[in-house]
Amino acid sequence: MTVTTVIAGSVIFLLLAIPLAVQVITAFRGPFLPFGVSSAKWSVDNFVTLWELREDFWAVLGSTAVFVGGSTIISLLMAFGLAWVTVRTDAPFRRVISVLVIVPFIVPPIVKAQAYLLMLSPESGVLNQVLRLLPGDLVVDPYAFSTMVVIQSLTNVTFPYLMIVPILTSMDGSLEESARVSGASWPQTLRRVTLPMLWPGLLGVTVLTFILGLGSLEVPLLFGQESGKDIFALKLWTLISASAGELPQYGLAAAWGCVFLVITTIAFVIYLRATRDAERRASISGKGFRPTVMKLGGWKPPVLLAVFVFTLLTAILPLFALFWSAITPYPIAFSFEALATQTHFTAFGEVLGDPEFWASLGRTLVIAGGSATIACVAATVLAYGIARGRRTVWTKAVDLFASSSVAIPAVIAGFAMFLTFMVINPVIPLAGTIAALVIAYSYRVSIAYRSGYSATLQIRKELEEAALVSGASPLEGFRKVVVPLLMPTVFAVWIQMFILGTNEFTLPAFLATPESRPLSVYMYAMINPRSAQLYAPDAGAAMALIFTLLVFLIGYGLQWAVSLVAIGRARRRSAIPGLGARPAAAPNDPPAPATRAVAAQELEEQKEFADR
Amino acid sequence: MTAAHGGGRLVVDGLEKQYELDGGAVPVVKGVSFTIEPGTFTSLLGPSGCGKTTTLRCVAGLETSNGGRITLDDQVLSTGTEHLPPDKRDVGMVFQNYAIWPHMTVFANAVFPLQVSGGKLPKKEARARAMEALELVQLDAYAHRPATALSGGQQQRLALARALAHRPRLLLLDEPLSNLDAKLRDTMRNELRSLQQRLGITALYVTHDQSEALSMSDRVAVMNQGRIVQEASPRELYYQPADRFVADFVGRVNMIPAVVRERSGAGEVLVEAFGTRLATPCPDGVALGDDVTVTYRPESVRWHETAPDRPNVLPARVVRVEFLGEIVEVEVEVLAGATVVGTLVARGAPLDSPASGSSIFVELDPNACRVLAG
Ligand SMILES: Nc1ncnc2c1ncn2[C@@H]1O[C@H](COP(=O)(O)OP(=O)(O)O)[C@@H](O)[C@H]1O
Ligand SMILES: [Mg+2]
Repeated sequence: MTVTTVIAGSVIFLLLAIPLAVQVITAFRGPFLPFGVSSAKWSVDNFVTLWELREDFWAVLGSTAVFVGGSTIISLLMAFGLAWVTVRTDAPFRRVISVLVIVPFIVPPIVKAQAYLLMLSPESGVLNQVLRLLPGDLVVDPYAFSTMVVIQSLTNVTFPYLMIVPILTSMDGSLEESARVSGASWPQTLRRVTLPMLWPGLLGVTVLTFILGLGSLEVPLLFGQESGKDIFALKLWTLISASAGELPQYGLAAAWGCVFLVITTIAFVIYLRATRDAERRASISGKGFRPTVMKLGGWKPPVLLAVFVFTLLTAILPLFALFWSAITPYPIAFSFEALATQTHFTAFGEVLGDPEFWASLGRTLVIAGGSATIACVAATVLAYGIARGRRTVWTKAVDLFASSSVAIPAVIAGFAMFLTFMVINPVIPLAGTIAALVIAYSYRVSIAYRSGYSATLQIRKELEEAALVSGASPLEGFRKVVVPLLMPTVFAVWIQMFILGTNEFTLPAFLATPESRPLSVYMYAMINPRSAQLYAPDAGAAMALIFTLLVFLIGYGLQWAVSLVAIGRARRRSAIPGLGARPAAAPNDPPAPATRAVAAQELEEQKEFADR
Repeated sequence: MTAAHGGGRLVVDGLEKQYELDGGAVPVVKGVSFTIEPGTFTSLLGPSGCGKTTTLRCVAGLETSNGGRITLDDQVLSTGTEHLPPDKRDVGMVFQNYAIWPHMTVFANAVFPLQVSGGKLPKKEARARAMEALELVQLDAYAHRPATALSGGQQQRLALARALAHRPRLLLLDEPLSNLDAKLRDTMRNELRSLQQRLGITALYVTHDQSEALSMSDRVAVMNQGRIVQEASPRELYYQPADRFVADFVGRVNMIPAVVRERSGAGEVLVEAFGTRLATPCPDGVALGDDVTVTYRPESVRWHETAPDRPNVLPARVVRVEFLGEIVEVEVEVLAGATVVGTLVARGAPLDSPASGSSIFVELDPNACRVLAG
């Protein structure tokens, strides 16, 4: 048991520590690559260069701060508002709303960014068309910096939403009720009780949203190049993409990466404190309550309108813009005449007939599946060992380390992995391979680690001890009690990481070659006007739609398969022969709905049980 | 079936256990010794945190003791240095929170001990035995249900069935009734006791509830701060507590400070208490002039409207009358002339209870008290 824990720990250590170490070394050893190059030597030249270009440095820092900070705040406000409406108010259609809000989650970020680009096009963009219908002379400039900030917010809003909903759901409503009974109005209660209580949790969400925003390349890449604002993610990317006749500036890029690692480390410390406070507060309040519901009254219409506008901006218009782009040969504004005369559906056929599409789809599945498996297995084994073991300084350090990947922005991870594979290439030639992508994608291991850790804590120790006193060896106890109880969590996390993997663009943007690129990168090549031969905006849009549909189907298909397994288990159980009295079922009763209900109930109860 | 169970003889001798905390080793069990005869029911009774669970877990093998010997029949379960793992000990255990496996059915929970290495049986036999165990606790009709679909009491019975399924020589129970409501607790108490007697299994039962311990056990070991302070039958424990802690912990008690003054016959003394002389039995090793504590259970304090012509009758005034249903509790101030010299609590039948504020006489029967040194 200890041996496997150590192995799992080492895997995670290799995944996280080596790339970061290589990046730091590259920053201090250059000028090109730290090893395997005869000219390489230790120096602080890269930081000197950074300082010499300090105007550029401050500009990037400033625009990154505005871009990431601004979009974090906007998406947090939107997410909080939406979460509040779905969880804590009596708004009509709450169920529908809560489904609509997470639609953008399944749309890969690169697809979203592309859709916004299409929908904001000054001439042909559907949003500007809609705005022209309204009074006033509103036109959104897609390359204005403020537009970029808003788009980044809209692209990332689902993530904080999904994290805020449970925070709001688990809040003890009686605390607010007692404030109300003490004579506080709703706004006063919100300000004096609710927000202070939620504050640590929300701070944690803020930090994670910030790091997510800092790390994503999609919007800066598609919008930033034209807007003239250099965002950190884009900066890193351009530094290592060698422009004609020059060597890529790895050392300088690594120095940039180090600066931002310091920033995210600070953010991570804030996050750790926030989550600790949040847990402390959660343990004060009791359980078995239900949050009180705020009556909207006359506010219903404006709230619904706001939700509608949100859905319009995050789901309806982007998908429409993609669809329109897919059925028109070149960018034209929507009109019924154009619909009648100019549209065709050949782009979909082209995509489906393109062998490279299928090849990159296959690679996407292999990479996402492989990395999710590595991360889940290693993280769960380690989490079990740490959560069950004695708490020492060492295990605390390992715990912190295994949780730290949330603090690494994807661009830095992508860049650090890129450097690492370059450096080890003479010994282990992995650079540019699918294996390299699998390893790189696995860096998000902390997601699985945290879930595995809390899932282990929820399995009370007595459940294992009961197996031992019943005569089971420790291994039997682990196999028959712990594994089945951990499995639902591991599956759920696996699916989550798998979907993240299929959506991933930032990491392969740094790492993939045309031979190993996943679908997201191939699609980007098709919509990027700079990639001469491949450029085909209609096929690109069609591919984006098919891609989204596939992610949706695979994600939900997997969830469905998992519930089928649960149902199968329930069915097998009820089929244990010779088990006393059982209500006899009519022979041609359709068994499915009943067993399905049993399985669902079982899962519910299992959750409840685990909660206790 | 009944014959196949039967119990083992458990001997715990000088058990020591300490936990390593940040500040060093904290002793929790400090030399605990007791013996349980085959087929008897022994309770470990003590306040919360005194080390009962730890003792039980050492017997089960879930904790490794730091010293002392534990043997079951001829088998050495653990010495200070060598420990048989729990799956090799052939014991059954019911946990305080039941520890029912939520991902299994009722049947799967019960059959588990018969499927794993410790007690593996052929499939058919295992199934029959598990069903037998479920029948014992009347859960056979629920066998196919998910274990989480059971109520608290049913889960408790399932935990019992699981602990009995492999017919262990020793059954360990850690406050199994503490999570049930009062009514169910009483029923389960009886069921548990009669089941244990029917199967003839040796049982070690941990509880902090004195009425549970007294009503179910053949023997009770009272624990305090990691030590056993008295081991006795329930009756002996109640009427002959070894010290003030036991007297106080096992039921309600009046403790009257007194001084031994006179020998008044065979094994009797007169003590000075409440400003007067009371006749009491003479405890061993007590000399004239010693401080003692005279203890009376409330139901041994009788009240009268007029003074009967017997020893140990004191005038008193009623200050509180509390109706508890089947009995009434009366608190009185003992008087010497007009001054109050102490208070007593008495219990008796509600029908002839005195009125609050009235003057009465209380009788302290010399045969119903216990005199403790100190
Ligand atoms: N795993 C442990 N680590 C450290 N101290 C413990 C542990 N388990 C119990 N203790 C301490 O040992 C003492 C006795 O605990 P326990 O045997 O559970 O008491 P009881 O069951 O009589 O209430 C308590 O003070 C408790 O805090
Ligand atoms: Mg205990």
